[in-house]
Order: sequence, then structure tokens, then C-alpha cells
Amino acid sequence: MEMDIFMSDWLHCNQLSNYVARMVSHDRSDPVRHANLLSSALNELFEISFRSGCAPGRLHCNISRGDHLERIALTFPCASEQHHLYRDATAHASGGGALQRYLEALADENSAQEDIVLLGLAVNYDASLSLQEVDDQALTMVLDIPVEGLLN
Amino acid sequence: MSSHEPVPLFSAQFDLNSQEFSLSGILRPLSPFEIAETIALLEKSINQVKGVLYINVKRLIHMNATAYHALARLLVNASRSRRDLRFVVVTSSVVGWATRTFHHLNSIEPKIAVEAYDSAFYPGQTFVEDQSFIPILRTQTKMTWRHEREILPRHGMHAGIAMADICCGIGDFAVLVHKEFKPARIVALDHSMGSLDYARKVAADFDIRDIEYTYGDASQMLLEDNQFDLVTCRHSLQIFNRPDILLRELYRICKPGGRVYITNEKNSHCLGEPRAASIQWTYNEVATLFSHFDMDVEMGPKSRRLLLEAGFEAIEMESFMVSNLDGDPQDFADVIAAWENVYAGEMSVRRGDTPEFIKRFRQGFQDHIFAALHPKGYAGWPIWAASGRKPQ
Repeated sequence: MEMDIFMSDWLHCNQLSNYVARMVSHDRSDPVRHANLLSSALNELFEISFRSGCAPGRLHCNISRGDHLERIALTFPCASEQHHLYRDATAHASGGGALQRYLEALADENSAQEDIVLLGLAVNYDASLSLQEVDDQALTMVLDIPVEGLLN
Repeated sequence: MSSHEPVPLFSAQFDLNSQEFSLSGILRPLSPFEIAETIALLEKSINQVKGVLYINVKRLIHMNATAYHALARLLVNASRSRRDLRFVVVTSSVVGWATRTFHHLNSIEPKIAVEAYDSAFYPGQTFVEDQSFIPILRTQTKMTWRHEREILPRHGMHAGIAMADICCGIGDFAVLVHKEFKPARIVALDHSMGSLDYARKVAADFDIRDIEYTYGDASQMLLEDNQFDLVTCRHSLQIFNRPDILLRELYRICKPGGRVYITNEKNSHCLGEPRAASIQWTYNEVATLFSHFDMDVEMGPKSRRLLLEAGFEAIEMESFMVSNLDGDPQDFADVIAAWENVYAGEMSVRRGDTPEFIKRFRQGFQDHIFAALHPKGYAGWPIWAASGRKPQ
């Protein structure tokens, strides 16, 4: 999807995450709840890319299924000077002590938005996070989530 | 430039009488400013209550991190500044992200308790979700199916439709519909994990892969609006203490022009010969017993009124009598025996009935079985089927 089209309406995050989650959840043991949970995580990534505020470029969303894991890879345009924000937030969410950092961030009104979102994904969804710098104008956020495991 | 419309997909309410602040729908704002009114309402609620404030998020389908952060900070700050006040956040076990997400509030501030609402969606749940009941539910469906397969086309069932079976139980109706009518899509929802596990196993055994079984609360489903050509809800409104809420949900997920089909009983009209008087006495008592537990097993003939009051039009209504002459009379007898076990053996005991009452109560079921198996006997179980069209 073209980034400028995506960024023309905030509701696209909600609409896309629900649509994509429903599409990939149709053959799971509980498609409705699977889609609900996957949409929640996916929406956070769409919102991150929306907030990057960077266009033109393209938004790529790739979802694959592995052993007990869903992998979401979202590539979005991002100015090079902003890369460090996502690098830092990913490092905070990926290392040990994520839960404690998340609790502190929740109670702090000055917490960085990226921290709240990525720590929340790591803690609430047992997600593993990584970041790939495609080039100096784009990032790929990769999220591995055990959706079925979380539902049962 | 982006057009940042406020997200209008959620609602927030405060009920002072129950000291409950409720959020429902989809809460995914771009910034906390978009939900400033909601935050202000919560602040006002906190200021108005004493002792405890319930935060009901059972019907919150989605919430993004932005909204959660705003709510969390407010609740944490309030719990620290109002030492006299505690908070209870009530989540739904159906919504996979909710309990885990809100649970952290308790780690930050122990005065914020988080409770998962995962039982008692309706009063009779503990009775009907007893796994020992499964063989009888299958037999019941087998008996009613003989009639329903004939009448369902009059209520909107045909090939290629998208349908939902709400309160699907062990899913056997969905399987029969799948085989007989070949709808394009079937979603089958129930609140019993055990029943759904059974349903998935049966579907797998029959190599049926395209029924979407889902765990859910029928009074607040995760299913989206206007999705289904036909929504069925069989024998369930009558054991739900607020059938109007359930019907509102069935209406919501039905497409305009689609139909909602319901079946319900009128237990006092169960009958048999011989020993008619004893049978009639017992089934009159069945109706009273269910009423004690806030269930209305006399609902059948009220279906037309219920559908009209829920906003449906073009109501179709008919009744049929399941009897001992439908196939093997022993099937009918087995169903009555199972009813006796639950109604006299569990519900009547829980109501605190005397042994004398229970003995007489049981006798009516035994007489119904006697009538069913008698070579010249007749035993009947009447059911009302009704459907209404959602206006275009």
C-alpha cells in the first residue's frame, strides 16, 4: 500500500488490522478470537508506522505462520534520523527486565510512545521483536507472536 | 495531510447506582486528546463514588496502547490519591488480550484488582455445560432435526448463505446444516470450551473443515455487524435471563434483509398418554423451577412478540411436536431420563425442595418415559420455531 494513502486516515490502522487479521485467521481453531488477538498486535505496528509520519514510500505487511508462532513483518518508510527511536525501543522491549520497564513506563506520563507500544507487545503478547534497517529511508519491524498459545 | 477523525467506535458510560464505569467497542485513538471526554468521565466517576469503582471492560473489543496508557495513568494516580477507594477492573475471558493487559495495573498498584468474567453469562450455564449432558444433546438434536430440516427453508435457510449458529452447544446442528444445506460460511459460537472441543473433534472426524467454531459470550460477540444472511439461536433465549440483550446481538450481526431464527419450548405443554395428569403436573413444575433460576422455558409462544419488540419484521412462526413416534422411542425416553437427572437430581435439590416434592417431581418424568415406551402410548415435546427479518 502507498504510504500516503495509508496515512490519509487514522482509521486505516483499525480497518487494515481487522481485515488482515480476519483473512489470516479463517482456518484456525477459533478464527474469531484468533483474529481479535492478532488484530490487536497488528494494529500497534500499523499505528507505529502511521506515527512515523513519513511518506512517500510503500507499506509492506508480510504475515507468515511457523511452529506455534505468527510472524508479522511490517516495512514502512522512516527517516534515517528517526531510526534510533525504534532501535532503542526495540532494544528495551527485547532485553531482560521488559516487564519492570513496562510497569514503570505505564505509570509515567512522560514515557515514549514507542516504548509503551513495543514493551506492551513484548509483555502482553509474549512477542519477540526485532528491527531491520532496510535502507536509510525504511525499517522493517518483525514480531513473532504465539497467538494460539495465548488463546488456550 | 492526514485527516485525524476521532474514533467513533466505542462508548463510555457511568452508572452511579452500581458504581460502574463501562467501556465498550473499539478504543483506538490517535492521541489521548481524542478520548479526553472519556477520561474526564472516568475522573468524574472516581470523584462521585465511595468504597469501590468497577471498571467494566468486558465489552471492549479492541484498545490500543495509547488508550491503555491514558487509562492506566489515571487509575494508578487515582488509587494513590484516593486511599479510601479501590478499583475492580472486570475483563472478559473471551477477549484474548484483555486480562493479560489489564492485569499489570494490579502489579503497579495492588488496590486495582482485575477479575476475568468467565462464568455465569446466564443462570443455567452450570447446568447445561455439564459434559455428561453431551450424548443427550446429540439425541435431542437428532430428534428435532427431523422437523427442522423441513421447516428451515421457510425461515431463510438455503445453499450459499453466510450463517451463524449462536449458542451452538456441541455443534451438531451446524454439522447437519452444513451437510444438508451447504451454506457458504458457518460460524458457530458457544461459551462452553468443552462443548466446542467436542464440536471441533466431531467436525474433524467428518472431515468438515469450514465451520468456524468460536468461544464467545452471546450477549456481546466479537462478530461484526451485518454479516450473516441467517442467524440461528436454538433453545437458548429461554435459558438466558435477558433474552432482549441476546436478541439485540443477533439483530446486530444479521444482514439487513437477513433473518434470525429462534426455537424455544413451552415445557408445561409437554404431554403424554397414559398417565397424563402426573406428566402434566411435573412439567408445570419444570416451568416453575426454571423460573426460580431466572429462566423462562415457557418462552416458545412468546417468540413472535420478542422478535417484533427487537425490531424484526415479516415474522414467520410455527410449532412442531417431537414425539416418541419420531424414530426410536428409546431416544425419547433417554432424553426424558436426562432431564429428570438434571431437573430433579440437581436443580430441584439446589432450590431446596423436600424429598417428597422431588419424589413426585421424578414420578412425572418416569411416567413420561412410560408413555414413550408404551406400545400404545404417545409422548410429546412441543417446540416453537420463529424467525424475523431485519429491515433493509
